[in-house]
Amino acid sequence: MDPVALSLWILRLAFLTLLYLFLFAVVRVLVRDLRAAAREPGSELGRLVVAASPEGEPPLGGVFALDAVTTLGRDVNNTIVVDDAFASSEHAALTFRGRTWYVEDLGSTNGTYVNGSPVDGVAPVAFGDELQIGQVRLRLERARR
Amino acid sequence: MTGGPSATARRESAGPALPKLFPNLRPRPRWRELWLLLLVGITLVVGSISLEATRQAQAAAAAGEPAAGLPDLALFHPQPLVLYLVGLLAAHLAQVLSGRRMDQILLPAVGLLGGISLLLMQRLPQGLAGGFGGLGQTQLIWLLLAIGIVTAIAVTVRSDSWLRLYKYTWAAAGISLLLTTFVLGRDVNGQRLTLDVGPVSGQPSELLKVILVVFLAGYLSENRALLVEQSTRLGPIRLPPLPYLAPMVAMWAIALGIVVISRDLGAALLFFVVFLTLLYVATARHSYVVLGLGLFLAGGALMYSLFGHVQTRVDIWLDPFADPQGAGYQVIQALYAFGRGGLIGTGLGGGLPTIGGNMPIPAIHTDFPLAALGEELGLIGILAILGLYLVVIERGLRIAAAAADDFRAILAAGLALVVGVQAFIIAAGNLKLIPLTGITLPFVSYGGSSLVANAVVVGLLLALSDKGVEPPPPPKPPGRRLGRLLDRGAR
Repeated sequence: MDPVALSLWILRLAFLTLLYLFLFAVVRVLVRDLRAAAREPGSELGRLVVAASPEGEPPLGGVFALDAVTTLGRDVNNTIVVDDAFASSEHAALTFRGRTWYVEDLGSTNGTYVNGSPVDGVAPVAFGDELQIGQVRLRLERARR
Repeated sequence: MTGGPSATARRESAGPALPKLFPNLRPRPRWRELWLLLLVGITLVVGSISLEATRQAQAAAAAGEPAAGLPDLALFHPQPLVLYLVGLLAAHLAQVLSGRRMDQILLPAVGLLGGISLLLMQRLPQGLAGGFGGLGQTQLIWLLLAIGIVTAIAVTVRSDSWLRLYKYTWAAAGISLLLTTFVLGRDVNGQRLTLDVGPVSGQPSELLKVILVVFLAGYLSENRALLVEQSTRLGPIRLPPLPYLAPMVAMWAIALGIVVISRDLGAALLFFVVFLTLLYVATARHSYVVLGLGLFLAGGALMYSLFGHVQTRVDIWLDPFADPQGAGYQVIQALYAFGRGGLIGTGLGGGLPTIGGNMPIPAIHTDFPLAALGEELGLIGILAILGLYLVVIERGLRIAAAAADDFRAILAAGLALVVGVQAFIIAAGNLKLIPLTGITLPFVSYGGSSLVANAVVVGLLLALSDKGVEPPPPPKPPGRRLGRLLDRGAR
């Protein structure tokens, strides 16, 4: 084989090899990234972020990871205790059914609000929506993966 | 202290007079991106050397000299490549200086695609497109502009509210852009895609795809809960709520309108597929996809029976050899090019010489860059390039999975999918897997509109991937009027 053709051949293969070397480097990073994400506690379905809390319980800026059923109210047996003068002891329940979050008002005195409109019985809640219980406002966010 | 009050006064007066350019510059190293960019640089330099060596060997063979010794290891027209790599490095440094915790893989992956595009445009006959001294030079200018746009968006966009809040404004802007093209556009090759604004001409459909994704993200994130849960029962079949089907029908009508008026099959297909994918991403309901595919098939059949230009495309796809010198010429030449390339290709610059000053495939630099790459890099090279598009999609979906709310999640997924779907449509068209539609291969095809629009996509994805800044979503107007009406109707 003459040297010119051979060197051209080597250069071509080098270019293709480098293309795959780059892809390999990228895929290694991607796999590591996905593994790290999978290792994190992943049962979380969503999270509640406290956006306003005049009486300090729950603390402002606090983040609650949510299970499929979460109850909110002033009673200490609730999943999230909302210690507010305008909250009932069993105020509302957040449930994840199938693909969507719902909030149910458990017959509270002052009502539950989603984005400022009162909940009549059960209402769907989208990520980014704000719940209001008494004076406490809580924002539903997607779980971080 | 001597100058207490005067110092305070000075501070007050100096405050507004000197706006701080860099309020809190906290550089954050991005070693992973730098390492990947280094690999990109090495790859492109080796590609350029390979191109130059092939050229030398061809020149020697043309002069009739016997191949004497080894070829010089030099770059093929080094200046544009060096400028491009410096541009990538500058983009990297700007992101480091901005201190944001953004994705480190998108820029190298897209940068490699752009670099391959630069090598390809340098290698093709320079007369294919005018302006700025030939194809390669013009593409270099657009690539540098694209890098600038990516960096500017990635570094400066810290809030998505300007996208989120004005979704209907964006939709109106998109539709008026589309109508302007319908009315004032210039016909090129029987397609009305090009819009001239003063000295600048561009293809609005490239920018429209970004606007479409922004609007869909806004619309779907707002109505997601209703789209998921409500349904209309038709006997045993659960259909999506009928009022919410209106947008789907409207989207379908717009796609058909694009096919009829501007004869742009590619954009119509891209828009409809992206719409369906996003609808599925937002709701996870198969019924939408089935319904959408049904609408698509019905619309396709209708268009095929009514319009000559659709029939031509499909007939070429079914049997290009029916008219090998006429209608089927382009597709057949592309198939031959893939065939000549084989497994590992002929090497950069080693493809078929030009015929009468033109490449054998018409419009190779815009519609068939994949065929050119398939000839010179072979099956292996093509697979690597398609792999790069997969990487872009993976990053987009990953950014979507980590997003804080529905709008950002759907936006990130949509931006990545619009690039991926477009690459798939044109790659499959080049390979005669589906009828050929004239859209560009993102980041690789020659052309300013395409590069700029895709740069906007990458810039937005980078900005969305920032895990550091997390501005809370702005408060929404109370309730959804349409949803409440629906509830009332149901009761």
